[in-house]
Amino acid sequence: MRSIDFGGACLAVAALAALPLLNPGEYLLGVLTLGLIYGIWAAGWDFMSGLTGRANFGYGLFIGLGAYFGGFANTLWRTDPWMGLPIGVGVGVIAALLVGLPTLRLRGPYFALAMLAASVVMERLVLILWRYTGGDEGLNDLDPLVESHVAFYYVALAFLVGSAAILLRLSHSRLGLVLRAIRGDEAACQAAGLDVTFYKIGSLMISAAFGGLGGVLYAHFQLQVSPQLFSMQMAMAIITMAYVGGLGSIYGPVVAAIVLTLATELLRPFGAWRLLVYSILLIIALFLARDGLVAPAWQALRRALSRGRDAAPEPLRQARSPGTSA
Amino acid sequence: MEVIVLGAVTSSVYALLAVGFTLIFGVARIINLAHGAFYAVAGYAAYILINLGGWPVLPAMLAAVLITALFGVAVDRVFVRPLRHSHMAVLMITLAISMAVEQGLTVAFLGEARSLPPLIDGKVSVLGVDVAAQRLLTLLVSVVLIGALWLFIQRSRLGAAILAISQDPEAAEYVGIPAERIFALVMGLSAALAASASVLASPFLSVQPSMGLLPMVKAFCIVIIGGLGSIPGSILAACLLGFTETFVAFHISSTWSEVISVAAVFAMLALRPAGLLGKREAF
Repeated sequence: MRSIDFGGACLAVAALAALPLLNPGEYLLGVLTLGLIYGIWAAGWDFMSGLTGRANFGYGLFIGLGAYFGGFANTLWRTDPWMGLPIGVGVGVIAALLVGLPTLRLRGPYFALAMLAASVVMERLVLILWRYTGGDEGLNDLDPLVESHVAFYYVALAFLVGSAAILLRLSHSRLGLVLRAIRGDEAACQAAGLDVTFYKIGSLMISAAFGGLGGVLYAHFQLQVSPQLFSMQMAMAIITMAYVGGLGSIYGPVVAAIVLTLATELLRPFGAWRLLVYSILLIIALFLARDGLVAPAWQALRRALSRGRDAAPEPLRQARSPGTSA
Repeated sequence: MEVIVLGAVTSSVYALLAVGFTLIFGVARIINLAHGAFYAVAGYAAYILINLGGWPVLPAMLAAVLITALFGVAVDRVFVRPLRHSHMAVLMITLAISMAVEQGLTVAFLGEARSLPPLIDGKVSVLGVDVAAQRLLTLLVSVVLIGALWLFIQRSRLGAAILAISQDPEAAEYVGIPAERIFALVMGLSAALAASASVLASPFLSVQPSMGLLPMVKAFCIVIIGGLGSIPGSILAACLLGFTETFVAFHISSTWSEVISVAAVFAMLALRPAGLLGKREAF
């Protein structure tokens, strides 16, 4: 079973890696690169919210903080763009700790509300502190991470593959198991002697690290940073990707991010329509496809493939599937 | 003096929003992220009726409140009801609705800010301060509305049913209170309160697609500070926040007043998570 997953992943990565060879043009390659960065965010969001079932409406906070601090480092202190990546990760983790400590030790909706409020107010704060942040204009004239578009595409692909691999690995580890258990029944986890708060804050910090990482990548891809990174619309797009992909599966959101970015890019000239499509997609996913589309599709394909290849006894397959399905 | 009068007006708008938000949480145990959308829908409904429909101001505003209340009931019936079993799904669906409303309004009306005419013109002198009459009216109507809500919940039969559901939904259903209908009613009420805040405040603020977001975030903050589900707590916190923001805007800088609410929330969650008047059972 595992070998099919691995084979599928290799095939997908190989296909993505081969794409630039088809000479798709700078524009399409740029959109694809954006899709890869969204993939990092969707997987990062999914790791915390998909596994523990705690909705995070303020993911933009980590993305924006990562991007702005990476941008400050590059424009003010003229550090190397590559140095921005650890800075972005660090800032994301610290922000997650600061927000998580007061809110995640509580049950109830405090985390969701506080995250939303924090990201909205942070967006305002960026406008208030326009002397340092450039206000609406944001930070401009960042150095590119690598010169050519094709090279950047491969850098983004490498980071996405690395992030997804780490997050998938973690989600199938003991940590991932505990997080899923918290989603199921928080009180029972506590009764079993697990430090629930520790795990929740830890998973938020991991999730935020990838938000910050993606933020810095995005900043050095667009060569500018704007307050929109903090916006609800940004978080909303990522949440939709995670839902369409299939919550808690990590790989589903990644695929959904790439596909949705490509698909909705066609609507770019219409601006608001694009976000309207995301909100309607989310509503549809909530009603019609509770497990998303990508993850169940892959599970079905995998079942079909393994049935064709070897006729494993039925009970054995069933016994294994709960461990691997999300 | 100005701080007191204007602070009271700000507080009253916040209170209207926060009371509706906390009411739906207290009764149906859902966090309604579409609360800001109600605020925006009311503003645009009034705008359409007045500017495109040619209605006089007062009927248009009442109609806008009614339309928003019906919209609230529809949101509850169509979207929230099938997903009520999952907290996260309800959060997501209400957020999706609020985004859809915001983006829908942007598509239909473009992003420009529009304005509503005031119900009454002119200025009134209160405590030696000249205040626009509309602001004063806002304060008065808010106090009356919240008072009426309080009486409705405490004195009427329907109010008793609402209280019963908020205390123990299962027991309430056993004695024959139709929970789903009460939830829809409360959602409508909550939407009507947000709509009233919108039509009262829009003449001196403005009508634009994203108008609901910041007031809604303020409402969250107030509700957390006051204690989730507690109406008196919300009113108290609304006053605290309203006066503090006005004071900071006057004496320090208007830009910084936005940040206070969130700072207060984090301080509150760290020190006393139940809120000023909240019960500890909420978490």
